[in-house]
Amino acid sequence: MTTQQTRPSLDDPRIAIPSTSEWYEPAPTAQTERQAEFLNLRDGEMFINMGPQHPSTHGVLRIVVKVNGEQVVDLDPVLGYLHRGVEKLCENADYHQAICYTDPLEYVASLFCEAAPVAAFEKLMDVEVPRRAQYIRVLTMELNRIASHTLFQGWMALDLGGITPILWSFIERDEIVDMLAALTGQKLLYNYYRIGGVNGDLNHEFMSRLGNWMSRAAAQIDSNTGLINENELFVRRTRGLGTLDQATALRMGVTGPNLRATGVPFDLRRDHPYLVYPELEFNVPTRDEGDSLARYMVRIDEIRESIRIIDQVLHEMPDGPVMAKLPRLIRPRPGRAFGAVEGPRGAYGVYAISDGTDQPFRMRIHDPSFVHLQLVGPLTRGNLIADTMAVMASLDPVMGGVDK
Amino acid sequence: MAWSRLTPGGRALAVLLPILSIGGAALTALLIVAGPFIGATIGANLPIVRFLAASVITFLVTVPVAFLLIYMEMKIIALMNLRIGPDRIGPAGAVMSVVHGLKVLMKEDFTPPSVDVPVFTLAPVVVYLASFMTVMVIPFAPDLTSAGLEFGLLYFFAIGGLGVVGLMMAGWSSFNKYSLLGGIRAAAQAISYEIPLTLSVVGIIILTGTLSLPKIVEAQGGSLLDWFIFRQPLAAIIFFIAITAEANRTPFDNTEADQEIVAGFATEYSGMRFGFFFFAEYVNVFIVSALFSALFLGGSNAPINLPFHPEINVNLGSLGVMLPILAGLAPVAGTLLFAAPIYMVSSKIKGWQALLGGFLIFGALSTAAIGFWAWAMLPPIADLLFFLLKTFALIFTFVWMRGTLPRARIDQLMGFAWKWLLPASLLNLFATAAAVLLTS
Repeated sequence: MTTQQTRPSLDDPRIAIPSTSEWYEPAPTAQTERQAEFLNLRDGEMFINMGPQHPSTHGVLRIVVKVNGEQVVDLDPVLGYLHRGVEKLCENADYHQAICYTDPLEYVASLFCEAAPVAAFEKLMDVEVPRRAQYIRVLTMELNRIASHTLFQGWMALDLGGITPILWSFIERDEIVDMLAALTGQKLLYNYYRIGGVNGDLNHEFMSRLGNWMSRAAAQIDSNTGLINENELFVRRTRGLGTLDQATALRMGVTGPNLRATGVPFDLRRDHPYLVYPELEFNVPTRDEGDSLARYMVRIDEIRESIRIIDQVLHEMPDGPVMAKLPRLIRPRPGRAFGAVEGPRGAYGVYAISDGTDQPFRMRIHDPSFVHLQLVGPLTRGNLIADTMAVMASLDPVMGGVDK
Repeated sequence: MAWSRLTPGGRALAVLLPILSIGGAALTALLIVAGPFIGATIGANLPIVRFLAASVITFLVTVPVAFLLIYMEMKIIALMNLRIGPDRIGPAGAVMSVVHGLKVLMKEDFTPPSVDVPVFTLAPVVVYLASFMTVMVIPFAPDLTSAGLEFGLLYFFAIGGLGVVGLMMAGWSSFNKYSLLGGIRAAAQAISYEIPLTLSVVGIIILTGTLSLPKIVEAQGGSLLDWFIFRQPLAAIIFFIAITAEANRTPFDNTEADQEIVAGFATEYSGMRFGFFFFAEYVNVFIVSALFSALFLGGSNAPINLPFHPEINVNLGSLGVMLPILAGLAPVAGTLLFAAPIYMVSSKIKGWQALLGGFLIFGALSTAAIGFWAWAMLPPIADLLFFLLKTFALIFTFVWMRGTLPRARIDQLMGFAWKWLLPASLLNLFATAAAVLLTS
């Protein structure tokens, strides 16, 4: 590296020593990659360290932003603050316990983190899930999808500086979460799906709460969206911001609403059907713009589709058992299986290998948030600092799933 | 003694009553003995006394106003968010903001080791002083101004613009990149919006021919249509947007955008230094609202001038001993009078319900009558009430905007000022000048 003379600057790595005599020593050689970046800053550029504690990083994420004035020159998400080694933990637990470990990955929609490993293990075991259990899974998953998307809606507005929408969306989310708590006994990490079915049939409190909510759900969603969608400031800040084109999206492995916002109508529920989705009627909403506003609008449309699916499920749900007959200790034949569900953030997959014992030999978790977080850099580059938050919020990553 | 059996309130009373009575007697004696001397001293140093009184009054105005505004914001935004908001301290949480202030006062006043200490210490003082000094020229009522300066408007813009210097000082001295960005944003925003803010008012200056705020208020005294919001609508819109930016309110609160730059210039501040920034922000909101209502909403003028001038001369003294008897009897008689028809309407209405209804109706009517009397007979109080009513309506609008709108981006903010507000204010100025030239 060049032996440039270091000047007193806010970016000096030895910032803790304010003695002036030190400033004019020869530049130190960079010990780490990050230090080399510090020493190679151009004139007028500086690093801003956002997070791990920052008001608007969703979870414990650190972003190192290189800015030139207000403009973002480069952006580098630093991961790993929430790493728990879930995949390794799962290899040392039996198949039922593995579901508890994957549960808190995507903590705002944790039913999907149960559904994917359960689907993989059921393929390994070759069990047929009872029809009623399948319907219950679809019902609870769609409820959880709505809970996640309403929360996204509030977060998005909050990251753009509006404080009311998040509290309005929490009304919906709280109602759904209470409903699921009445069914599963938990508000956040439900641990409700079992290999071969679900843990317990629908109960009276859940059904009465659900019926109550369904009668006003559509109107409530409309009033929440009305506060944001028609807001000139919101639309002007998100339209044309962080535009993702189809080719890049497909190349980066983007799935879910972020992919559908670029015009690709890819939805696992329709293209690789699981559970009873083939029998239900629903649209796959898409947008062509691929910008932050499109990503937001796709999610709003998905809420409406989910309400439609719940309506059909409630009409068509059969009676019967909710759990298949299985031995207490699960010991699948050696083999490998991939189970995937369409989560609120994209395709959520689990690849499990069995060696014939009661513990998975290997479990690989594919989380869409991790893929989407890669896009923050390319989409934000050249925009302003404030846009970082808008792009981040519209991609909607959840750090629990990213760090695993 | 019974001391141990007294409640804390009783103990306080037992201590305070003798002190107050002895102190009051001593003060009275002092006034009787030295009264002429004190009067002569005040008379000889009238400007100094006036200045001291004005300072004390402005201080006494700003502190409760800031507390009231903080409480208003907490409560109104809570209602908009479908929350309850503060409800523990005082009735409906009304003392919450005072306790908030006390808490800030008692917190550790921490100075980070690498800050520029003198600048860091001075910055909140400058910010608070700037907003504090502008209260002096606000015309609360025709004769109720701390300093009725001839160039009040100019003074207002000059001193009000000083606040941004304090913000820049805070941003620069804090040795923090978020603070630096916040300070620079504050400077850019204030400079950009100062120009349309000032230019939009020039139309009013042309029409009234004065820079004195009381005289501008006086010029709007004729009728509702004389208010400058109707004579200068474009200027009113520009001015409103510009004061929103000047007071750093949503949607133009980029200087302390917590989602982007944590707390902007105030990131490194704690304790009462942060409290000064916080106070100054709310005092600023009050001041700009007061200025808008003085310039555009007719200030202390009533919205409707009564076509008659009621002369209600009630000589209470002539009633003699009947006064306390009447004052005691009137509520009872009035309550019964209004309760009787309610009771007779339906047999389902119980006696206590009818009495309650009658009491409420009587209360409302008597309050309205006393209010009307005050409006007719005590013009300064009525004027002050009108002024405060308009000001607080505007403050409510600011709070409402904060509850509803997201934040504008910094480039949109600057572009709006230079591309739209500046040409519009120039157009307004040109049109006003042309109209004045053609009609005179």
